[in-house]
Amino acid sequence: MLAGRGVGLNPVSGEVFVAQSRAVLPKPSRHDGNQAKQMQDLFAGLGAVSADLKELSSQSSALGSDIFEALQLILEDEELRDAAVSEIQSGWDAPTSIQRAVETFASTFVETEILRERLADIRQLARQVAAKIHGVELGLRLPRAGKFVLVVRDLTPSDTAEFTDAVIGVIASEGGPTSHTAIICRARGIPLVVQCPGALTLKNGDQVLVDPVGDRVVLAGSLSLATRAVSFVPTSAKPVISVFANIGSVADAAAASASAATGVGLFRTEMLYLASTKSPSSIEQAADYSEIFKQAPGAPIIARTMDPASDKELKFLGLSAGELALPREFLVQQLEAIEAARQTSGREVWVMAPMIAGELEALNFVALAQSVGSFKIGVMVEMPSMIADIPKLQGIVDFLSVGTNDLSRFLFGVERDRGVNPELLNHWQPGLIAALAEIAGLSAAAGLPAGVCGESAADPIFSIVLAGLGFSSVSVSPSEVGQVRNALSSLSIETARRVAQAAIAGKTPAEAKRLALKVADELEG
Amino acid sequence: MYVAELVIHDPIGLHVRPAGQIVKLVKDSGLEILLGKKGQELISAASPLRVIGLGAKAGETLIISINTQDLAVAKDLADQIQELLRG
Repeated sequence: MLAGRGVGLNPVSGEVFVAQSRAVLPKPSRHDGNQAKQMQDLFAGLGAVSADLKELSSQSSALGSDIFEALQLILEDEELRDAAVSEIQSGWDAPTSIQRAVETFASTFVETEILRERLADIRQLARQVAAKIHGVELGLRLPRAGKFVLVVRDLTPSDTAEFTDAVIGVIASEGGPTSHTAIICRARGIPLVVQCPGALTLKNGDQVLVDPVGDRVVLAGSLSLATRAVSFVPTSAKPVISVFANIGSVADAAAASASAATGVGLFRTEMLYLASTKSPSSIEQAADYSEIFKQAPGAPIIARTMDPASDKELKFLGLSAGELALPREFLVQQLEAIEAARQTSGREVWVMAPMIAGELEALNFVALAQSVGSFKIGVMVEMPSMIADIPKLQGIVDFLSVGTNDLSRFLFGVERDRGVNPELLNHWQPGLIAALAEIAGLSAAAGLPAGVCGESAADPIFSIVLAGLGFSSVSVSPSEVGQVRNALSSLSIETARRVAQAAIAGKTPAEAKRLALKVADELEG
Repeated sequence: MYVAELVIHDPIGLHVRPAGQIVKLVKDSGLEILLGKKGQELISAASPLRVIGLGAKAGETLIISINTQDLAVAKDLADQIQELLRG
């Protein structure tokens, strides 16, 4: 079995076709001094690739067509053309210049995981222009007849557009689930398993099962082994545990109200001020919070005091990402603003603190919050040191909230957004599930309601695992509330417990997910 | 000059497709339109690479500045661009 990330819902089994590149690009080189000739080559190359994209765009579905059109616009970007021209002026030949120009832009890009995947597409564009100028064919040699599972390192959107019916599935050793290639394949109903390093061991003629829901490829596997996608049909009007929304702005609050969320499990107060260069006054904050409380759905509305940790940065405090604590006077000011907004909005507002390391910090926060306003007071469980102190919080805090993203980051010592080993940040990681089981158990024993507000809860089947472990609520972004609520309204709490037990038995993330899906599927019949 | 704030609602942020659609709108308008994050230098919204390069994520706020006297036209453009950021 080869593990990867699945894209799509329908499995296929078939014969492997290892796709080879048709040609390699010549090495970067300098021109002979004839700049005019190089400029001519450059614009001819840009024009030719642009025309190809236009052609592809007219043949594709609406979604694919938008992508090819956007790629075409990138080639017409005047800033890119200017950059390429100045590379020619400094002596590089046309094919090298366009690639260097893209790199100049790449170095100014803000680093995010999604941008890295986009950058791969943009670099590929420059390579296509270079290939046109050199008069070589890039792209992959693809099967034209028969039925094959294509095995590649990575694909370009143009490769994907050349697929005939002979391509029934794709396995890529690199790539990403949100790349354009993935989007186009999804739209065409071709299942993919990407980020599958084991793909490089496959040979022509091997029989494989592409199992996108199971995030895996099975050698000699037949369709009957495939993991089935579970579609959850609500059988009850009320989910087994509460489904809340995560918000960070007035627009989110309105979107949450329009969703099926019965409250706000996490209001990220720092989101409002991430771009501020000066500290927002107490009055300013109170007005902002009040507006959001008025728009938000139901009760409670759980406001988290500003979180300077992890990937966020609060410029006005001079705190960089990674610093954990707010200055005390700022925290007091913020709690006062939340209390004022609670009174003017008339809503049920709870407050909680992020990045609490243990009992002592929790006590300090509770004392401070009690002196400022009348809310239920909670703390987040995201630092592993907090777990052991949960029993001591009985009668001290009113509730707990688990941030699974930061919890796994600390548990496994990995940086978010720095793809060291993505497996470790997978929420199906057995180590994380074990920690969550412990947190749920300790919270229940201490009589403390505990919710989960991390990304993991947005995975419908994982939200069932969380309910089964004993959490009392989940909180997800407004756009995901519907699917999570459906999943949690489709079964009894006893079934959820059995799904959770199945997940705990998994030895790898893939196995935990597969076991949970299997039990959910069997019990739902 | 018209200046407003836009919020990215698209869960995968400001990616290539909406960036392309924005650039098309901007070019068709013939106006000088700048985009950027608060406190940072604004970039030309007619350059798809610059727009993508902002790396704007879901929940983030962008500043839009449109160089025109006709505030109704500007507001309409800003609304259309906001619509493209919904995902």
